[in-house]
Amino acid sequence: MSTTSSSHRSARPRRRGIVRDLLWHGLNLGLPLLFVVLPILSFVLVSFWTLTNGQIVHTLTLANYRAFFTEGSYLQVYLGTVLLSAQVTLINVVLAIAIAVFIFRRTPRVRFLILMSFMLPLFMSYIIKIYSIRSILGQRGLLNEGLLALGLIDQPIEVLLFSRTAIFIALAVLYLPYAILPIYLALDRIPANYLAASADLGATPLQALRDIVLPLGRPGIAAGAVFTFILTFGDFVTPQMVGGTQGFTFGRIVFSQFGLALNWPLGSALAVILLATTLLAVALAGLTLRREHVR
Amino acid sequence: MKQKAPLLDTLLGLVAVAGLIALYAPLVAVAALSFFQITRVRGVMGFAPFSLEPYAALIANGEILAALATSLIVAMVASLASLVLALMFAFYFVSARRRFGLMMQMMVFLPFLLPPIITGLSLLIAFREIDFARGLATIIVGHIVFIVPVVYRTVLVRLQLLGGSLTEASLDLGASRVQTLVHVILPQMRPALISGALLAFAISFDETLITLFVAGSETTLPIRLWAMMRVGFVPEINALATLILLVTALITLAIGLLQRGQAERAS
Repeated sequence: MSTTSSSHRSARPRRRGIVRDLLWHGLNLGLPLLFVVLPILSFVLVSFWTLTNGQIVHTLTLANYRAFFTEGSYLQVYLGTVLLSAQVTLINVVLAIAIAVFIFRRTPRVRFLILMSFMLPLFMSYIIKIYSIRSILGQRGLLNEGLLALGLIDQPIEVLLFSRTAIFIALAVLYLPYAILPIYLALDRIPANYLAASADLGATPLQALRDIVLPLGRPGIAAGAVFTFILTFGDFVTPQMVGGTQGFTFGRIVFSQFGLALNWPLGSALAVILLATTLLAVALAGLTLRREHVR
Repeated sequence: MKQKAPLLDTLLGLVAVAGLIALYAPLVAVAALSFFQITRVRGVMGFAPFSLEPYAALIANGEILAALATSLIVAMVASLASLVLALMFAFYFVSARRRFGLMMQMMVFLPFLLPPIITGLSLLIAFREIDFARGLATIIVGHIVFIVPVVYRTVLVRLQLLGGSLTEASLDLGASRVQTLVHVILPQMRPALISGALLAFAISFDETLITLFVAGSETTLPIRLWAMMRVGFVPEINALATLILLVTALITLAIGLLQRGQAERAS
């Protein structure tokens, strides 16, 4: 395709060809540069400014980054959020592996249907799901009332809503499909004859799972883990809606700097730290995969 | 052929069922509560008989309907623009030098790989730096930036599957490049274009995290709902949620069928 287009191009007057080429490259490289890369660079730049008496001071300092380590509870909330996201990632990846293997072991015809039914909730309104989870988990919510009616508990469980537990449950439910899809897609690429061969050679299904399916599914597992971590770590609406005052996560702190607190430089610096953390997570996942290749 | 392993399959099946229950409980609860409202008599919870009251209240709620209209406009403009941009980027990727194509692709994918909070915030700051007031336009730009990578991916896969031979044949037979695009390439890509547009529409309609940063006084539906929920409970939310669930389920089903049809034709 590229050869035809270039031969056509050279057949035309040279000047017009150059202008058109420039325009073509300019559009395709310029637009992403303008709307994606420059905005990111601009917020990194703002993170080195400071806010004094409500005015932004345009001199470069590390003051905001120093504040993260020394002032208030930024560092503490940050570490708490890393832990929370890591916990959600762990439970969701374990669940997703089980579900992906379950789908993988069905006949090809029903696989697609089951996979679709796990993906469908992903397209359902995010905000409405949070709202519904809240009405299920509330102190007088459906779950508590149901358990009370069944006589399983005497008192409503209070930690279900406006607590760290509530954020954990809500995030796990909201982001589960993001872990299932990459893991299943990785399993789906495993050639069927590998499994046939292992069965012929006398491997039990569990051995095949341990020695073939899971090792070959590793890239998908890493991708699922990274997706889950990035999305849960950056989510600021879920913690606010179901966490109440108890659920102060790092994403919420960042968002609040652009709302009520209105300290854009500090907010940008905290966002840079959030971004660095997610990049670190990606790098870590890449590293575990590379080690696997070497061996 | 897979070996039978009843115990393993039962265990995995239990996890899968538990997962489905967790994923669908919020959806079912909303739909059920839109028809059977919760009542409390002296603190004891019960359900009111079937009624369509929340739906009637919804039709009368101007604020929600205005936000819904905004959301539909944003989703339509954003998904059409994303489709055009994604097509352009896909053609660029298959025709330009590999280095340039990869450079473009990396930049285009970024907003989808980064947490939405980063995309939203960087756009907010960029708009502020160039003194561009927040409003409908900034929301649409925010959505396009987030949607393009998804549509681009869908379109590119189909374009690469198509290969260059049809284009070459068409050009050899004397068709102009525009004629080739309109009469040869685009018709071949119709399923990818439709499912890409539907996907874009669904994502835009639901986008919350980026919109919260770039929306000024204009509010899309998710933002409106978010604001309403912080204040308290409004029964018409359940009705609206049920309707949205129904529409998105249909859209998703359409995407699924289209992509399956595409996959079957390819194999």
